[in-house]
Amino acid sequence: MTAPSRNPSLLIGVAIVIALIGTAILGPILFRVDPLAIDLANTLASPSLAHPFGCDALGRDVLARVLWGARLSLSISAAVVALSLIVGSLIGGAAALSGGRIDNLVMRGVDIVLAFPGILLAIALAAILGPGLLDLVIALTAMGWTGYARIVRGEVLTLREREYVLAAEALGARQSRILFRHLLPGIAGPLAVQATFGIGGIIGAEAALSFLGLGAMPPTPSWGNMLDAGRAFLLVAPHLTTAPGIAIGASILGFNLLGDGIAQAVGHRT
Amino acid sequence: MGAVRKPVLVRMMIARMRRCAWLLTLTMIALTSCTGAHRSPDTIQVDIEGSPISTDPRFTTDILSSRINELVFDAMVRIDRNGQFVARLAESYERPTPTELVFHLRHDVHFSDGRPLTARDVKFTFDSILAPETGTPKRAGLSHLKSVSTPDDYTVVMTTDGPYAPALEFAMQTIVPDGTPLPARSSAIGPPGAGPFRMASFVRDESIVLERNPYFPAPANAPSTILFKVVPDPTVRALELTEGVSDFSENNIQPDVLPYLSKQPHLAISKSPGSSYRYLAFNFRDPYLRDVRVRRAIAYSIDRASIINSMMRGAARAATGLLAPENWAYDGNLPIYNYDPAKARQLLDEAGYPAGPDGMRRLRFVYKTTPEQSSLAQALQAMFKRVGITLEIRSNEFATFYSDIQKGNFDLTSLNWVGTNDPNHYYMIFDSKMTPPHGGFNRGYYTNPEMDRLVETGARTLDLSEREQIYAQVQRLAAEDLPYVSLWWDDTVVVMNRELHGFTPYPNGSLISLATLTLQGPGAAEPSE
Amino acid sequence: MIAYVTRRLFALIPVALGVATLTFAIIHLVPGDPVIAMLGETAAPADVEGMRHQLGLDRPVLEQYFSYLGGLAVGDLGESISYRKPVSRIIAERYPATIELAAAGMLVALLIAFPLGIIAGSKPGGTGDIAAMGFAILGISVPHIYLGPLLMILFSLDLRWLPLTGRGGFSHLVLPAITLGTALAAIIARMLRQSLIGVRESDYMRTAISKGLSERAALIRHGLRNALTSVITIIGLQMGSLLSGTLITEMIFSWPGLGRLLISAIGARDYPTVEGCVLAFALTYVVVNMATDLIYALVDPRVRIS
Repeated sequence: MTAPSRNPSLLIGVAIVIALIGTAILGPILFRVDPLAIDLANTLASPSLAHPFGCDALGRDVLARVLWGARLSLSISAAVVALSLIVGSLIGGAAALSGGRIDNLVMRGVDIVLAFPGILLAIALAAILGPGLLDLVIALTAMGWTGYARIVRGEVLTLREREYVLAAEALGARQSRILFRHLLPGIAGPLAVQATFGIGGIIGAEAALSFLGLGAMPPTPSWGNMLDAGRAFLLVAPHLTTAPGIAIGASILGFNLLGDGIAQAVGHRT
Repeated sequence: MGAVRKPVLVRMMIARMRRCAWLLTLTMIALTSCTGAHRSPDTIQVDIEGSPISTDPRFTTDILSSRINELVFDAMVRIDRNGQFVARLAESYERPTPTELVFHLRHDVHFSDGRPLTARDVKFTFDSILAPETGTPKRAGLSHLKSVSTPDDYTVVMTTDGPYAPALEFAMQTIVPDGTPLPARSSAIGPPGAGPFRMASFVRDESIVLERNPYFPAPANAPSTILFKVVPDPTVRALELTEGVSDFSENNIQPDVLPYLSKQPHLAISKSPGSSYRYLAFNFRDPYLRDVRVRRAIAYSIDRASIINSMMRGAARAATGLLAPENWAYDGNLPIYNYDPAKARQLLDEAGYPAGPDGMRRLRFVYKTTPEQSSLAQALQAMFKRVGITLEIRSNEFATFYSDIQKGNFDLTSLNWVGTNDPNHYYMIFDSKMTPPHGGFNRGYYTNPEMDRLVETGARTLDLSEREQIYAQVQRLAAEDLPYVSLWWDDTVVVMNRELHGFTPYPNGSLISLATLTLQGPGAAEPSE
Repeated sequence: MIAYVTRRLFALIPVALGVATLTFAIIHLVPGDPVIAMLGETAAPADVEGMRHQLGLDRPVLEQYFSYLGGLAVGDLGESISYRKPVSRIIAERYPATIELAAAGMLVALLIAFPLGIIAGSKPGGTGDIAAMGFAILGISVPHIYLGPLLMILFSLDLRWLPLTGRGGFSHLVLPAITLGTALAAIIARMLRQSLIGVRESDYMRTAISKGLSERAALIRHGLRNALTSVITIIGLQMGSLLSGTLITEMIFSWPGLGRLLISAIGARDYPTVEGCVLAFALTYVVVNMATDLIYALVDPRVRIS
């Protein structure tokens, strides 16, 4: 472990992420403007005192929407990353520990999912479950877990060959104990990095799915669907995209720095 | 390979790579400096939002295919911008008996490959559509056409299965040459036609190139080539117009961007009345929506004026019904539901429409995912909230949306009718027998014996003034009973390079007058504002 | 070596089978009907049934599945429902455009990533590092749907350097390739930086420097080769997002590739075309990964092909 003072990435990362989460929680409480209230007299209004970030195509306050969007975008990302991490780690770990045929089978399965265009899955889920947050989370998780599975499997396979693990095994330690005592710390670093990248990736993926009409359902604001809706007005009202754009940038910056910091703290090089 | 030689190789590769990088940069500069060149003066580019589905007019039902096919193929009769039939391939036509239409074809018409167009080609086209094995969606539309016969090379007789008022619309089918194979075995560019252009190339999702049909007279100074480019993104279409890459765009630019485009010195924008009708349809399988008071309440809760003024930037007219004022059968003396949330709430209570624990009624609105539909859905949602209705919105791509509609998995939906001409369309949408899958568009399962009687009589009545009266009653009944809430008629909005002259916008959005467009010349009649 | 490649090629079969099965299942589960999409709602029930029969859609689903697999086994992807042409021919028309775009995106990614990664990795914590990584973060954080129009406005509308859309010469490729490649560039640059930092602290670097090589020269000569392995791995891993990125980029830049074909085929419920497109994407992914594995083995002598 390095002292926090020698790990500026961690410090800045933590600061930005806390600021983001704080904004998501407190923002809508402090700035009490209804993000769904349309005001057709104010469509595409430029930033003003009443509407610091301007208004969108339906005259809704962009600042209020960005603040509420923070809640949605961050919680979707967190949910997807957590689910992907759990599903991927379990599958990857199980494959590596069982080895042989099962490992082979699982890795073929991973290959298939990796090779499969997620967009078809997203469209299918939206059509079957009805578009909404649930199918968004399921679709993004179904596309996202493989990365974690690969990392966990790879790390487990390498670490198992390390002397101390072999020694522990020779001394008769149980497999689950070995996994937790020795493998987990080794895996935490790369997983943390993957997860932080994952958060950025998911915010971006949500924007791409919004572009295809599969993101968070209107009128609920998410950064992705705000960016997509604002894109159409780049020529006449660029301020619609600035705020969600900066929000997306800031969160990716924060989570990446945090990931780097964690990686450094646990002494892992990616 | 020896260990000694490797570094040399690597160094050589690095040196080569460096050279490549320079070359790349230079080419890039060289190439980029020539992209400013304008299009060839003889070609105009028209940006379209999607790819046409079919280049064979026996199959085209989508709007884009029809718009382009109109330029390549010709029909016995056509509709002009005032909704009047004009003779095209036919020099004249008459109705000798209630079930017969006789067309006398012109003798001087040629397909773009030089073959003369005769009655045989006309008969072939119709027979081909009517053959079940052709598998074309157009067959259903000709269900009242009993036969097409050709007493001689330049006479065509159409026989209907009884007096059928809209029969003349059958003759708007564009004609392909006798013997044209089905699309499975024909080339992508489709068969030759007798229209002003011939298709020179068709690359799906990319472009369509039309060149002049050498057998069709072209005006002086007319562009020889029209390049239809498929540009799915609305922002990009606006950018292409701004840069002068594209010269023409109709009804596919967002209203909010029009003020920006109007500031470009080389662009002219025209708005003219259109007949594309946007409506809100109810699902009559829902017991509460079957109550006319609930439907009226919903009509009263929509602030159409603000939607038109703000969201559409005024590029639409509030609609009274399916038929626009330009239609011969239009009757504007109808009840209008102006925004009145208090009245809406009162009607909902009178109807005894129960509210949930949160004091709100819940309705599900399904729509096809487009930015415009999404804005409309959100605006309606906010407006309905004020009268105590929670509008749950469900947006899907077309096939899923459509499957929802077919299964009755909706309360409200919004669509539009483009290019309605004969008022018999009321039969297709409101007759109780015309529910899917029985060949009609009555998706909401609307049932009203009086409506049935009127639209069925209207279809069989040949006398024009009698028909006019029947459809006046239909329009009144539709406005009172509200199977649809009428929203608006979209304007025809054309953005065009100022170098182009002589384009006549059509209320139904037809692009046929691209054929008579000229490049310079006198500032021929600018489209009316 | 040849045995290895053959074995890997055989390993393609289960993946292809899995992808084909998954696609078949998903597209048949999605509501919507290809015949209604084609004939429209006014079609008479008899015509709908006739068309269904003609297309073989009235057979039991399992039978359709096995006849589809049977076709696949002999390389027959079936006939497109909406285009009425063999799917293999339609894909052959569209595939080159997508590969051109993906390859250009990859090239852009590498051209941006290498200088950035080397600048950042050779002096971590320095100004160059901060600037390069700042750019990398920016690159990851701008989604394609936003970057594309921004580049168009900047380079096409304002500067008039590059054309807006469509497929044509080199100049048409630049903006879509940058749109597609930026995010990947950022990821590769970060990866490169990390492995260069790792290499800096390794024993053989110390040896090389002690032998009198300048640090940067030693890093480029020894470190880069080492870092290359991780770059190759990341390229394989990112191939999936690169390919799905082509889909969005094709939509924005009116690029006539496979992605737009897939989207419109899904819309028309054109089952054979959807299945063919997905298979083409999947096989591309798998083959690229195979290739990266091979290159990996060639670059890193420690990895033996077995």
